[in-house]
Formats: sequence, structure tokens, C-alpha cells
Amino acid sequence: MLALGPIAFASPWILLALALLPILWRILRVIPPAPRQLRFPAIRLLYDLRQQEQTPAKTPWWLILLRVILATLIILGLAHPLLNPSGRLPGSGPMVVVVDDGWAAARDWPQRQRTLADLVDRAERDQRPVFLVTTSAQTGETPARATGPLRAAEARGAAQALLPKPWGTNRKATLAAVERLPIQGSAHAMWLADGLDDPDAKALAERLQRFGSLTVIQDGPRALPRVLRPPERRAGDLVAVAERVDPSGEERRWVRALGTDGRLIAREPLVFADGENRATSRFNLPTELRNDIARLDIEDETTTGAVVLLDERWRRRPVGIVSTTGFDASQPLLDAHHYLDRALSPFSEVRRGGATDLLKRELAVLALPDVGQMAPNDRDAVDSWLKDGGVVLRFAGPLLAGGGDDLVPVRLRRGDRALGGALSWAKPLPLAQFDPGSPFHGLSVPPDVLVSRQVLAEPALDLGDKTWARLVDGTPIVTAEKRGQGWLILVHTTSNAEWSNLALSGLFVEMLQRIVGLSRGIAGSSGDAALPPLETLDAFGRRSAPPPGVLSLPRGGVDATVGPHVPPGYYGNDLARVALNMSSDLKALAPLDRLPSGVLHGAYVGAREVDLRPWLMTAALLIGLADVLIGLALRGLLPIGQGAAAAMLALAVFVAVPRAEAQSFGQTPSFSQMPRAQVQRAPTSGADAFAMSAALQNKLAFVRTGNAQLDEVSRAGLQGLAGVLVRRTSVELIEPMAVDIEADELAFFPLIYWPITPEQPLPSSQAIGRLNIYLRNGGTILFDTRDQADIPTEVGGGGPGAQRLRQLVRGLEVPPLAPVPPDHVLTKAFYLLQDFPGRFAGGTVWVERREGSSEVSPVIIGSNDWAGAWAVGPNGRPLFAVVPGGEPQREMAFRFGVNLMMYALTGNYKADQVHVPAILERLGQ
Amino acid sequence: MAVTERLQHRAEQLAAALPPLLVASERVAATIAQGVHGRRRVGLGETFWQFRRYQPGDPVRMIDWRQSAKTQAVFVRETEWEAAQSIWLWRDASPSMHYRSRKDLQDKSEHADMLVLALASLLIAAGENVALLGTGHLPTSGRMAYNRFCHAVLAEVTETEGLPAIELLPRHGHVVWVGDLLAPLDDIKARMAAYVSRGVHGHLVQVLDPAEETLPFKGRIRFQGLEGEAPTLIGRTDTVREEYAERMTTHQAGLKDLARIFGWSYAVHRTDRPPQTALLALYMALARIAGS
Repeated sequence: MLALGPIAFASPWILLALALLPILWRILRVIPPAPRQLRFPAIRLLYDLRQQEQTPAKTPWWLILLRVILATLIILGLAHPLLNPSGRLPGSGPMVVVVDDGWAAARDWPQRQRTLADLVDRAERDQRPVFLVTTSAQTGETPARATGPLRAAEARGAAQALLPKPWGTNRKATLAAVERLPIQGSAHAMWLADGLDDPDAKALAERLQRFGSLTVIQDGPRALPRVLRPPERRAGDLVAVAERVDPSGEERRWVRALGTDGRLIAREPLVFADGENRATSRFNLPTELRNDIARLDIEDETTTGAVVLLDERWRRRPVGIVSTTGFDASQPLLDAHHYLDRALSPFSEVRRGGATDLLKRELAVLALPDVGQMAPNDRDAVDSWLKDGGVVLRFAGPLLAGGGDDLVPVRLRRGDRALGGALSWAKPLPLAQFDPGSPFHGLSVPPDVLVSRQVLAEPALDLGDKTWARLVDGTPIVTAEKRGQGWLILVHTTSNAEWSNLALSGLFVEMLQRIVGLSRGIAGSSGDAALPPLETLDAFGRRSAPPPGVLSLPRGGVDATVGPHVPPGYYGNDLARVALNMSSDLKALAPLDRLPSGVLHGAYVGAREVDLRPWLMTAALLIGLADVLIGLALRGLLPIGQGAAAAMLALAVFVAVPRAEAQSFGQTPSFSQMPRAQVQRAPTSGADAFAMSAALQNKLAFVRTGNAQLDEVSRAGLQGLAGVLVRRTSVELIEPMAVDIEADELAFFPLIYWPITPEQPLPSSQAIGRLNIYLRNGGTILFDTRDQADIPTEVGGGGPGAQRLRQLVRGLEVPPLAPVPPDHVLTKAFYLLQDFPGRFAGGTVWVERREGSSEVSPVIIGSNDWAGAWAVGPNGRPLFAVVPGGEPQREMAFRFGVNLMMYALTGNYKADQVHVPAILERLGQ
Repeated sequence: MAVTERLQHRAEQLAAALPPLLVASERVAATIAQGVHGRRRVGLGETFWQFRRYQPGDPVRMIDWRQSAKTQAVFVRETEWEAAQSIWLWRDASPSMHYRSRKDLQDKSEHADMLVLALASLLIAAGENVALLGTGHLPTSGRMAYNRFCHAVLAEVTETEGLPAIELLPRHGHVVWVGDLLAPLDDIKARMAAYVSRGVHGHLVQVLDPAEETLPFKGRIRFQGLEGEAPTLIGRTDTVREEYAERMTTHQAGLKDLARIFGWSYAVHRTDRPPQTALLALYMALARIAGS
């Protein structure tokens, strides 16, 4: 390795070849360039010319320079230059690369991967095998992995496939994996550390050092990731705590609150004061907005440690307390609402008011402290809200005991039961432990909670199922019933301290929390089912579908530890999801600084080593191509002058060779022997060919009926008509064309002649659709039944052609028809006509019945076999006799054809009254 | 009716086959025809030439009585000399004519064809009998003759020799050779002598590409002939340019001498010049010789 500033050469001895360059220069100067090939007629005069100068023409100096540069580039490329070389690897033997690929590595993962790729490159140059050890387990796997020995190419592939994991490292397992490595002799270990300490870090470092030498690559504590802990709810606000490793210096960051759909809900500053490694940011938001927050993260942190997913536990549920009397501020301790208010406000938003007013806003729980009879409209509102999924929490009291309504889960006895009063032997009773089926299960019951008065439920078969809490003697104290999608809950005692001291206990708060928790969300997953992974986070804090191998979260496993089997993310289902955050059980971060002595240190920063060899070789190749092109140009084999050869130098680098050949086409002098590029036109498809032939000139068209004889007649007829039109009018027509209504595009023809034969096949629905489009867009079809029979308007009757016509046009958008009126444009478009004979005379011709319409009738129907009358043979003589009128009738048939074509081509402007005087004048003559 | 149709059909076919060259040559000929009229000599013919005082010995029927009645003198009417000449045209169709040194030029063969066609058009319009040498046709006059001539010229004939074959022509015929005339002088001389021995007058038009006169190339070039000549390599073409030009001048001087010896005319046409000039010169030469 020869280092020259930022450039080093891996094979420096090849540079000796640079000494040959001057020799090359001399040789190139002496060798004459290849001659141009030139054809010349007067070559006889060139024979035996005295060549005054014996030295032949020299290669131009710039071409020699180009070739020397080419040689230089090749030599330099072979010498394998490296930009920002990283030097040789220390030590000898194989290289053990330990990569921390836990969540903390995600912060600058691309840099780590570059470093890793560099290491692999260096190992490749030194031809040392690589052992790759990762410290985090794969998804679903337990131990850390060690692979190797790998060749450089394999190691490069493995390194590129490496991704950080959204959980921590397991250096203990890594240590075990390193122990098992099949390494004899010494090796060099590289540890691409994430910079976080743990109890096994030192042991791992010591073990790695025993291989021979150890380099630990890590960034300083300032570059370590920040961690965002799950927020706490403090007095209605969300308070998020962030931590950093290095407490020095003030640092300002932002914490973002994002909704489920990723939109930004709030952004709060996060300020680490100097000397502090904790900082908090507080979100004070309206409840509706706050409940939308699905994710908190530190801006510009790219690890999953800076991401906290929120679930129902962080939602604030508004609780409405129905207060009909107003707040009695003078005696709050006697007030039925006071204890509820105090118990609920730490975790919910408490609102007061009438039931209807409260229900106007979003509400999770409606608390009714001792309401006897509700107003009917209030009752209906509460009932419907309840059935839609609300939770109604009622408390007993004197009013309810005095006579309640039916909005209670169980039937109540009138009156109440007093325990331990002056006239009773019974003592106030404590609560029994909660049944496993009760939502309160798991709460500890303090023995000093005593109930002295309560309302009693009527015994019923389902009373036991509806009971959530009992006194020790078994009387229900909390009953509940599911109504619709909501819960109706009754606490059989008061919400103040009047009937029991339950409201004074901590149990009251916990019970209320559970009840509030029932509302919307958590209630759906009250089963014991495990929570399947719904959406997981990767190490970069990005949401993704759960990878295979992720296990379900056991019920109540909200406190599960994030690991290879349970990555952070959402678990459960769409109704009830539980967020599992990596940072919730993360130990305090500490920098990795307790390393054994003798460890070499490295950092991720620094310019990446760039291998210049491919670039140099590419440049040499391009210059070589340019040289070839220039050589061709100098020999006159390229269609450019010699003067332009210099321009080719620049051009050839950018222009691909095929392009240059393409340029030569058409410019090649006639005497050149350059192979000409074949211009291959894409074969025109049949449809295109048809369109091309049909669109380029006006022409008549007839429908191919499948009857060859009839088609020939149609062709001859239209040919005859076209001849007449060309002779007599300014219409320019070429040979008529047969169209296949099933396949051909009709839009090119102003008029289509459709002779009807009884045996003609019915058109398909696609053909009908196309014909409809044609008619709608102004095309005209002349139907000719050719049977000399009048076509009656009624269904049935008529000749065979008419009957077939009726079948053929079924589905066609034929407008209402009428016989041609005497003032129709067809009678005066070119000639003045009153009847329209063809080979036969007298048949009625039908056109669209529309008065004052400015459009051409889309269909014209007749039976006179016009094509037969128009048909002329190749010798110009008519093919068929016309009856009964003879040649004058044929002339009239031609005139009809002319009128028809004029009508189809020019529309009915002749109907304009402007022309009436002229027409009248001619009529008068 | 049917005959007319057939004729029309053929005419259309002919018109469709009329290549741009023919049109160009017609145009070239038209510009010349406006400038030159007839033989400009007194002779037998239909066209009025001049009035002249009656001189004793003039036939009485030559007297133009109407003119004489206007003045005191007696005038005779002279008509222009309108004898028809037979002229054989030849143009070089050898591969060496298919050459142009620059893309903006036309091939030498195109110029030669155009010259010959235009000349034929002019001559036929002037009533001469024209045939293409080498086809064996007899010189004829009239529109059909021109058509036949066109067909003969435009037929894809490739000669291998750059000189016309020796043909037995009637005495006092005229030949016009259009070609690059780069064959050795001796060959040309022998060929000319064969014609001259039959008393045939001739005109040489040498059609050359500018590059053939100036040799504007540079550097190391391997020259290849167009007619299978052996290639020759020239190390520095720019150094031999003058010597080449000298040789070309010598060759042209030799041609000129030959023409002078045999009493023929000689003209050089370069393809970067308009063909009208050459045509005019050629036509004038023809008129002079024919008149002499």
C-alpha cells in the first residue's frame, strides 16, 4: 500500500509501468496512422507520383495524447487506487466482526453498514476470512448468531442483509457464540458497538481481546440515542419523559404527537438542561384530540427507543356527572357529586350538567348519583346512548330507594336496608372479595370499607350473573347489565359517605377506573384470549406488518418485555389494542466505557474509502471507444469530415456507438461502403392498414354481405356511381371499399351502402355497438332491400329483404322514419328529383322523420336496388337492365346517387330557405 | 375512344416514369433555347430570315412582291438555313462516373446524363436527327425520337470502358462525347481517329468533379479506383497535390491538342458549376461546326 495524501495504491508496483509512457509516446509518434480509405476515379493520375516527403503523415498530437492518457488510466487503474484509504487491518488471521444490531444501532445504521462494508473490503484485500457475529437475536430466535468463516463476497452479502432489531442486544449470548467460533491461532476482532453498556459488555470485550487484538468502534456518548419513556398522565396532561446518556450541554428537541393516520397532532419542545439527562415535555390538549394520539416520538431520532405507542391506557375518558341540583359549594362533603368528582378527575375529564346536555358531547361514562325518576326525555336520551355503547353508572340513595325508574340493571325492592342502625342488630358489612368474572377482579378489598345502607335487588335467576360485587353476606352491592352495546351499572349505595364509607376508600377510585376502562375499547377484549400482533415497529421506529415468528401477547401481558419474540408494537385487534413499548422496560442508559485496557478505539465518522479502480477503468474504456471512433473518422469511415474528428473526442464519450451508426444512415456518401442501417418499419397491423387505406381519400363503402356475387355487384355499382360523381361534381372519390362491420372501423366513410340479403348473418352485439357509434357521429347508412317491395311501417309484411332488414337492425338506433317528404333535401341536393328509382322504380324511400333537424338522416331505407342500376362493367357498360324505364331511369338512379352523396357529404344546407328563390326559379323554367 | 384511352394511359405511364433528371434537363434546355435561334444563316428552310436587294441572277420567284411594292427597290426574301444534321450523342456510363466528392454535389453521371438529354431536347427542337451512340439506333427527329432517346439514356446500362465503342457512322455526322475522359490519351486518340477517319466531326465534354481537378485531400490515404484499378497508398496527399494538378493539366492539354488536331471541340464541365454553361458552349460549338 502506497499512500499519497488521500489516495493510496493497493498494488503500487504496477505504477512502475508509468515509466514506459515516454517510450509509448515515441512509438505512437513513429507509427503512422492507418490510412483513410478513399475511392477516387482519377486514380490513374496518382500512380507513381513522386513522394517528395518520405516520412508519412503523423498521427495528430492530440490523438497521441489521448492514447497516452488511455495507457495512463489503465496503469493507474491496475495499481488499484483508493480514495481515503483505511489502511491495513491490524493483527493477523481471520477477522471477527461483532456487530451490535440492537435498537440503539438504528440511529446511524447506514454509517454502520458503510463501516462494515469497508471492513469487509479491507479483509478482502488482505484475503482474510471474516466471522460475522451479531449481538441481537433475529425475530423469533433466541440466541445471537455467529456465522463464518465467510469469504469476502459472502460476508458482504451478509452485511448488506443485516438490519437492526427493535430490541436490545444480548451480549451474554454473544459471548457464548464467540466462544464457539472455530478459530485457531490469532484473529483480529472488530466490535461495531452501539455505545450502550450492559453487564456483559466487559466480559465480551475481554473475550474478544483474547483472539489477538480488539478494535471497538463506537461514537461518543453525545451521539447515543435518546429514549422516550411512556408518558404519564398528570392532572389531565400527558407528560413524556425523555432520557439521554450524556448530561452535559443544553439540548433542544421536539416531541411529536401523531394520530393513528400519521398526522401531526401536537409538537412540544423537549429541553435537556445542562447537566440533566432527563427532560420532560407536556401535552395539554382537548380530550378529543388527546385521545387521537397514537404515537409520541422525538423528532429526528431514528430509533424505536424514541417512539412510544399509546393505547387505551393513555386515553382520557370524559365522564359526565348528571347534576340536577347544582353544586353545593357550602357543604361539599355532603354533596353526592363531590366524591365522584375527586375520584374521577385524576384520570378522566369530569363534566357536570343535565343528562341531555352532557350527551351532546362525546362521553365515555355517564354517572347518575342518586336520581330517582328521570325526566322522560332525559331518560330516552340516556337509554338510546346506553344502547349505542355508553356506560351508565348509577348510584343508589334515598331518591332511588323511594321509587326508581326502570333504568336499573336489576329490579329493586322499595326502600332500603339499613345495617347497623340504632334499631338493628346487624353491623355494617364489608365487601367480599371480587369474583373472577367481575371486572373488579384483582382489586384488593380493604377490610375497613363498610356499607351501612343499601338498596336491595329483587331475587332473580340472573341476579348472580349481574352481580359484580357483593357484601360479605352475599347481597349484591354492584350490579350491572349489558344493554345493547353499553353497560348499565348500579352501585347499591350512595356516592357520598352517607350510606357507606366506600366513597372514601381507594377502592372506590380503582373501581371507578375499571368502570371507566370498560367504556369503549377495553370492554371488547375482556376475554382471556391472547393478543395477536397487530402492527409492529422496526428498529427505526417505523410501523410495519408483524414479521413471521412474532408471538401473541398473553392476556394481561401489557408488561411483557420486548424481545425477539415480542417486538414493540400494537397487539390485539382493531377494537382493543395494547401498545407494547420498548422504552417502558428499558434500563437507564449508560455509555460503554468500562472496556479493558489495550483495546483499540475507532469511530464511525470519517470519509468512506472509495475504490477508484472501476472509475478509472470505465474512463479508459470510454476513451478507448472514443479512440476507435476517431480512428474510423480519420480513415474516412465515419460520415464526418476530418475537421470534425476533434469534436468526436467529446462526442464519443457521450454518444453510444449505435447512435453514431444511426446518424451515419442517410449521410453516407454514395461511394462509401459503410453498411447502411436497415430502416425497419414496424409491420403495420391489419387495422392500421385498413385505416390508412380508408382515411387517406374519400371513398364509398359497402357492407360485405358474404354473398360474393352481391358484393361484386355492390362494388361495381359504387364504382359506377363514383365515376358519375367524379365526372359531374367536385366530389373526388377513389375505388369503393368493402367493409366488414364486424371488424373494420367505419368512421372513415361518409356513406355506407348496405344491401340486404335474406341469408345475411346477423351482426354481433359489438358490431351493433359500432354501427350505433357510427350513426350517432353523423354517419349515414343506405339500406337497400333490393326486392322492389314497399317496406311497410308495421311489423311484418314486406318482402324477404325487408323482413331480414328488421332482424338486422334490431338493436340499432334507428330513428322514427317517414317516406321522403317532397321538400326533403334528397330531392334537391344536386339534382331536382321527386322519385328515386334504382334498378326498380316505385319503391318508397324512408328517411328519418324529423322536422327542422339540421342533421343528415342516419339511415335511408329503400328497396330499389340502386347498386344494380349503378353497376358498370370494366368496359363502362351497365351490367343490369333497369325496369321499367330503361336508360332514362338509370340516369335518374345516378342522379339519386349524386343527390345522396351530396346529402351525406354536405348535410342539408340546401334545406335552408335561402336557396328557395333559386330553386323556385329553376322549377319555373 | 379506346385508342385515346390507351394513348393517354401510356402517356401517364411515361410521365410517371419521368425522373427528376429529365425534368431538370428539359429546364436546362429551355433556358438555352430562349437565347439561341436557328442556324442564323441564310439557307433552305421555312423560316423567314431576311430581305435582300434583288441581284441579277436571283430566281424571280424569290422576289417578295409585297415587300418590293412598298419601296422602290426590289427585294428578295431569304429563308433561314434549316438543314437537318445527324448527331450521335454519347455519355460515359462507366462506374467512374458515379462519383461525387461532396454531398452537396451531384454525381458526374447525373451531370453527363443531364447534358446529353438537354442537348438532345434542344437539337430535336431545332429539327436535328439525334441518336444515342452505342444503341445502334438511327438518328431520328421529332417528339418520339426524344422519347426513345430518353429511354436509351435512362436505361440502366453500365459500360466498363470510359470511351465509346467504334461504330461505323455516315460521313459528316456529328458525335458528342460527354464523359470524364480520364482514359489514357493514347486510347482516346485511337478512338477519335477511328471516327475522324470516317469524316465525323466531334465534340468532347469532359465532366469532372472538383476534387478531380484539385485533389483537396490531406493525410495518409489509400486511394481505390472505381473501375477495379489497383489501389495506391499515398503517405501525405497534400504534398502530391501540385504534382497531381500538373498531371491533370497535362492530360487536359493533351485532350485539347487532340481536339485541335482532329478539328473537334473540347470543353470541361465541373459538377459544381451549373450545367447551363456547358450546354450553351456545347450548343454554340455544334451550331458553328454544323454551319461551317
